[in-house]
Amino acid sequence: MRTFLYNGSFEGFLTALSLALEGGEGCAISKEEGAEAGLFTEFVNSGTDPVKAAAARRLVERRGSEESWHYVRFAFLSEVPGAETAILEYVKLLALKGPLADNMLAEDRVRKVHGLASSVGGEAHMFKGFVRFKELADKTLYSKIEPDHNILALLAPHFRARLGTFNWVLHDARRNNAALYFGGRLVYAPLSSARLLEDAKEAEVRELWKHFFKTAAIQERLNPKLQRKNVPLKYRKNLTEFD
Amino acid sequence: MDLDKKLEILADSAKYDASCASSGSDRGGAGGTGSAQLSGVCHSWTADGRCISLLKILMTNECVYDCAYCINRRSNDSPKAILTPDEIAGLTFEFYKRNYIEGLFLSSGITVSADRTMELMLEAVRKLRQQFRFNGYVHMKVIPGADQALIDQAGLWADRVSVNIELPTDKSLRLLAPGKTKQTVLGPMNRLAQKISASKDERRAIKSSPAYAPAGQSTQLIIGATPETDREIIKLSEALYDKMRLKRVYYSAFVPVVADSRLPALLDPPLLREHRLYQADWLLRFYGFTADELLDEKHPALDLSFDPKTVWALNNLHLFPLEVNKAPYEELLRVPGIGVTSARRILRARRAGPLKLDDLKKLGVVMKRAVYFVTAGGKYGGIKKETEEAIKIKLLEHKNPNGQLSLFSEKELVKEGLAGTVNGQL
Repeated sequence: MRTFLYNGSFEGFLTALSLALEGGEGCAISKEEGAEAGLFTEFVNSGTDPVKAAAARRLVERRGSEESWHYVRFAFLSEVPGAETAILEYVKLLALKGPLADNMLAEDRVRKVHGLASSVGGEAHMFKGFVRFKELADKTLYSKIEPDHNILALLAPHFRARLGTFNWVLHDARRNNAALYFGGRLVYAPLSSARLLEDAKEAEVRELWKHFFKTAAIQERLNPKLQRKNVPLKYRKNLTEFD
Repeated sequence: MDLDKKLEILADSAKYDASCASSGSDRGGAGGTGSAQLSGVCHSWTADGRCISLLKILMTNECVYDCAYCINRRSNDSPKAILTPDEIAGLTFEFYKRNYIEGLFLSSGITVSADRTMELMLEAVRKLRQQFRFNGYVHMKVIPGADQALIDQAGLWADRVSVNIELPTDKSLRLLAPGKTKQTVLGPMNRLAQKISASKDERRAIKSSPAYAPAGQSTQLIIGATPETDREIIKLSEALYDKMRLKRVYYSAFVPVVADSRLPALLDPPLLREHRLYQADWLLRFYGFTADELLDEKHPALDLSFDPKTVWALNNLHLFPLEVNKAPYEELLRVPGIGVTSARRILRARRAGPLKLDDLKKLGVVMKRAVYFVTAGGKYGGIKKETEEAIKIKLLEHKNPNGQLSLFSEKELVKEGLAGTVNGQL
């Protein structure tokens, strides 16, 4: 069994994908760090090759469709263990069946990748609501998030369109990564910790919000189970109103 | 009174309005702050499990009316507060930029007069749009009895507009809301419907014409304060969707917030009934059912033990089982356990090849319900003699593995029902 290792980037993954597709049966793809060595595993370093990466993308788009490419991209962002190999199996099926493969919704190889993609899309949508900014002394809006999936690049365009008149920072503290929007430009950069000086008014607005949130519940209808279903506990530590 | 206290009073008074949606509008761009998404976005959920999408407040809880069911009735001597247009616009903007909310939901008790109230509300929303250049979502209540010219302005600033019917019949209105009549409520609603539809036509012809309440109109009915049957309520909703082109009808289980001899003595709000009404409402809007198919003169109440689609299917067993490899979309939608998403998936998956019974679960079909109503490739997985009673017993076993129907209290059903899919959200 051969496992193709890549450096964690999407381009690196596509390079590995391209190599694994040529590698025949029994191939797997894994990130360099955290790759598990089995007794009979042979590791191959894939490197990053723009030409090979582009070829993998072309294959997905031509044998499959734009839609298939969307599933590959989103499933990759899931960062769920085994997602890379699941994508490999899915792309093999695309190569075999063509665009019809995406109709095979009861087929496990398709279900797995569609499922991962929809879980990523779902979390990105939820975080459009769950992001909480605080205003800093220099009027920058700062938000810390810790999503399961790597959704920063899916969220940033939403907030650029919405809060384009402000400077803001969206900080994925789980991945030490940030989307920074300053003076109309959006950049991504590593960010491990941030020293924050809150605006003088911030605490007051936060208290207003928390008070509003508490008041809005109808006592005669209390239903913490339903609340937990909608706001899973794992997301609450970065939600102002659950402090 | 400080802002915090005012907010508490005016959020407390507004929370019985069930509407929370921020959907149906697609705005943004062109400078300013904010955008709205067609799908709507929920930002949080309160301890009662209801979504917060908008800053839902009253401008004031003072009111010249004395409606028996309403927390803001004149004779209720709870503390009164009023927010200025500047306070409303400022607060919305501060909350919005921190991404607490998707926008503003502004309602109000009636202070001085309907016209004066409407003017102040319009000023708040106009400030928000023009001074703060706010492009987020705004839902605005229209005050019954206000001048038509003022009502007309609401849709120019708001994404969604609404007038609450609250009580489903004129008789109940006369009993509990002496200041209102069917006409004062339906009049403005009709006017808004005309404006919305005219603006849609204009925009089809000239794209750049201004949008009028692009997210449409909604309303709310209070459930359980008056003796109307589910059939009367669902027939009314059907008419509102068909004739007035409403986007949503909300149902709000009556919570007795003030004591009044004209009101029923309820121990708990009728949450399960509210839940069944939402399910029936969904069947009208997305599943192609008519009110008459769901409830008739002989059976005017929704069954509390079974969802309305299952009840319909059990009453129409001669139409089942349905072959999932052949049935058209409209018929698949009528199978208990198959929803809009799984019906679409079935259609799509069929194009790749015939489906087996085992495949259906993988497509998202809830087989514990659907199994009695479908075949796949001629195979049936249900029970041998599929009579209505036999299926009912099987379905109830799933809900209650002990099989003892008598143990089935309404409280458990509420839990089961409300942990399910449909409620006032979206």
